[in-house]
Amino acid sequence: MSVRGKVAIIGVGLIPFGELFHKGLESMIQEAFMSCVKSVDKGFDPKDIKAAWFGQWSGGGMIGQGSREGTTLGTVLGLRGIPISRLENGCPTGNDVFRNAVLGVASGAYDVVLALGAEKMRDKPGVESLVAAGGGAGGGILGLHPSWMMGMGGPVLQALYATRQMHELGCTMEDFARVAVKNHHNGVACPYAEYRFEVTVERVLSSPVVCWPLHLLDCCPQTDGAACAIVCRADLAKKYTDKPVYVLGSATGVDYKDMWDKENFIEMPATKFAAKMAMDMAGIKPEDVDLAEVHDCFTNTELLNIEDIGFCKKGEAHKLLKEGYWNREDGHKPINPSGGLKAHGHPIAATGLGQICENFWQLREQIEPVRQVKLKKGIALSHNVGGNGFGVSSVNIIGREP
Amino acid sequence: MIGIIGYGAYVPKYRIKQQDAAIPWGGWAMGEKAVCGWDEDIISMAAEALDNAVKHSGVKAADVGALYMGTASSPMIETHLSPVLAETLNLSPHASVLDFMGSVNAVGTALSQCMMAVEAKRIDCGIVVGTENRMVGPGSDGEVSFGAAAVAMVIGNQGTIADIEGVQSYRTLFLDRWRAAKDPWVSNLFDQRFYRDDGYAKHIEEASKAVMAKINKKTADYKLAIFPQVDARVPAGAGKALGMKNVFPDLTGAIGDVGGVSPFLCLTGALDQAKPGERLLVASYGSGTATAFSIVANEAIEKKRGRTTTLEKYIARKTYVDYPAYLRLMGNLRRVPY
Amino acid sequence: MTMWERERMQSPRPASPLFWRLNPTVYHLLGSKCSDCGHITYPQTKICHKCGSFNQKDHQLPKTGKVHTFCINWTPPPGLEPPTVNVIVDLDGGGRYVGLITEVANPEEVKIGTKVEMVLRRLLNDSGLDFYGYKFRLVEEA
Repeated sequence: MSVRGKVAIIGVGLIPFGELFHKGLESMIQEAFMSCVKSVDKGFDPKDIKAAWFGQWSGGGMIGQGSREGTTLGTVLGLRGIPISRLENGCPTGNDVFRNAVLGVASGAYDVVLALGAEKMRDKPGVESLVAAGGGAGGGILGLHPSWMMGMGGPVLQALYATRQMHELGCTMEDFARVAVKNHHNGVACPYAEYRFEVTVERVLSSPVVCWPLHLLDCCPQTDGAACAIVCRADLAKKYTDKPVYVLGSATGVDYKDMWDKENFIEMPATKFAAKMAMDMAGIKPEDVDLAEVHDCFTNTELLNIEDIGFCKKGEAHKLLKEGYWNREDGHKPINPSGGLKAHGHPIAATGLGQICENFWQLREQIEPVRQVKLKKGIALSHNVGGNGFGVSSVNIIGREP
Repeated sequence: MIGIIGYGAYVPKYRIKQQDAAIPWGGWAMGEKAVCGWDEDIISMAAEALDNAVKHSGVKAADVGALYMGTASSPMIETHLSPVLAETLNLSPHASVLDFMGSVNAVGTALSQCMMAVEAKRIDCGIVVGTENRMVGPGSDGEVSFGAAAVAMVIGNQGTIADIEGVQSYRTLFLDRWRAAKDPWVSNLFDQRFYRDDGYAKHIEEASKAVMAKINKKTADYKLAIFPQVDARVPAGAGKALGMKNVFPDLTGAIGDVGGVSPFLCLTGALDQAKPGERLLVASYGSGTATAFSIVANEAIEKKRGRTTTLEKYIARKTYVDYPAYLRLMGNLRRVPY
Repeated sequence: MTMWERERMQSPRPASPLFWRLNPTVYHLLGSKCSDCGHITYPQTKICHKCGSFNQKDHQLPKTGKVHTFCINWTPPPGLEPPTVNVIVDLDGGGRYVGLITEVANPEEVKIGTKVEMVLRRLLNDSGLDFYGYKFRLVEEA
């Protein structure tokens, strides 16, 4: 089944990401939702929402308040009575929540649905929240034997790839640093970004080594945030706005969950699967995409994923980066004009929906001129990869034309 | 005849200069001692010694009827730790597995008991493993001198490389060191010379004489005496009392006092060099009991050489840690969790 | 609740069913080899992770191999001493194992292709109880 032409986005909502110690999960959800409802051009009555998907990854592990079912969303948004499911699918939770909402509409089951992701990553101190996020001394916390996941946090998993990228693809730590330079530069202009400062290659390389070959400024932050989107049947979209953005393709791909099964460490098959399925669904090729929000939890990850989505050949991303190919202002294909996870922040379940917000605004050309990307075909892509062994990826492609 | 089919040693890579542990408390010491690394303990050390012993012996795991672990360093009062080792070797679930604890004579006792099981034909072969990393507190005498090491021996009737001709023990109600269930650390010695003369030397002498009398041997029949190396001089004193000049060269300056492991670890060093027919007197002592063994190398000893890492090589590889690191390694200095 | 008690409550439990049922797998290093595609899976599986075949045979992992990739972690979680060197090892004769290098004196000794061997090490201590498993040690060339 293809979703192309069947579903449209009519409004999005996003709160500025950051270490929001003064905001609880509930207030973040409410703020994102309120800004989303207000963003619908011709007005929107929340009672039109007939179903919702709630993205929430950290659950009780970080917030320490037990698990977060659909009840949280239904209660704080006053949406009791409609079906709401909580969804957790690793770092792609946000994009996967959106996919599920799209399927809800495309299937014909509902006319208007809500996709919302919210994450409270920083209610626990840094080390503890990192441990809860899977960097534990042992996998006992994750229900795995410590033999197999001993001291394996996000930085370790990605550094294991980075070492191999350097060995096989000829990347250097300077190349990784250039990703941070680009994304931080983009983030400066984005009012929703957590980090709004420029960095240089020298500054990245002189920041503390977190996990060789990755430095502190190669890593994305742990962020609090919430983001959401309202999608509806394409033929109903004009009732809400004259400028709907249409869903062209939407897919999730999974690969091995365990590092020891992987065939190599210079690609992420999950990304390949998801990108291929989404593009086939949309009937487009990678060159048709004007801009993309690509998962860059670590700088090397962005390079891997640019290649795996198909924007260039394996081993070319870092060379093109050096030439400015992925730049926002003068590049051929801007990657992460929002600042990416690196500068915009990474509140897991809100991350993907935040990317969709950015793409929605870019395609409608309703953002600050300084960070508006030049559009050609009016197609944007959002992508996440993550989970155990970076084995799950979600891709959503949206466009100005159905 | 019952004997040793194979043996293995293990000494951790880490060392502390003994003076580094002594000076902060107003003391002084020479030499260095072996220390467990961040991820090591009596079980991980024992596992490597066992691995070496099994490789050296050529025995199959399925043929092993017993695994006896001797240690004075066990943190456990209830639950045994030797089952972990049995699992690493994939021994039969029917194998007899037991921790011998409570004294630095425990390894000697474990060996003696394992011999009994073989001699009674309850099992064809058994493994004895000794492992020590004794719990010492800041400023104690043991903190300066106690080292860490493990040793393992595969015991049986078939395929031996050295035969155990006899074993005898000698016991009095003698208290030297102790660690009660509620004590985090082993006590200091009550009196060095009382321990040395009436404890260590006396008990070893009596046990040694008893085993020699039992098998009709004289001190002149022995090439070498191996006694627990509590420091550089005490073993020689015990040798003198027995009229034996040739005692095993001191290792305490290199690895420290490794408790119940010591005589058997030295035995592996001696067997690494021994020629067929050489006779060794080995005694262990702890908490008022000495156990003495008369061991003679046989013709097969040279055939199995070179199969595993030797004691000499383990002693040669080393990395130093400082006193604060040592305190943390021993659990005597802990970071506040929050 | 004191902070010590809190720490104790939050840590994994060595006496749990998880550890008991995984003991043979962890200590005997038993994996599976697919009779159809040859993929080696560890720990054991009934269905091939690669091709989905149900024809799996027990496969004993060897304890030696070479480093496929590694990283040097200066910010390991509590309980580990920095720097830790995490590795993915190509085991001799096929299969991979993910783990840590032990006895790290100089992390720069570890390279892609470095020969390593498995040794049993204490992984965690909780409530005075210990978890054990295999880590890798660099093979000293004779």
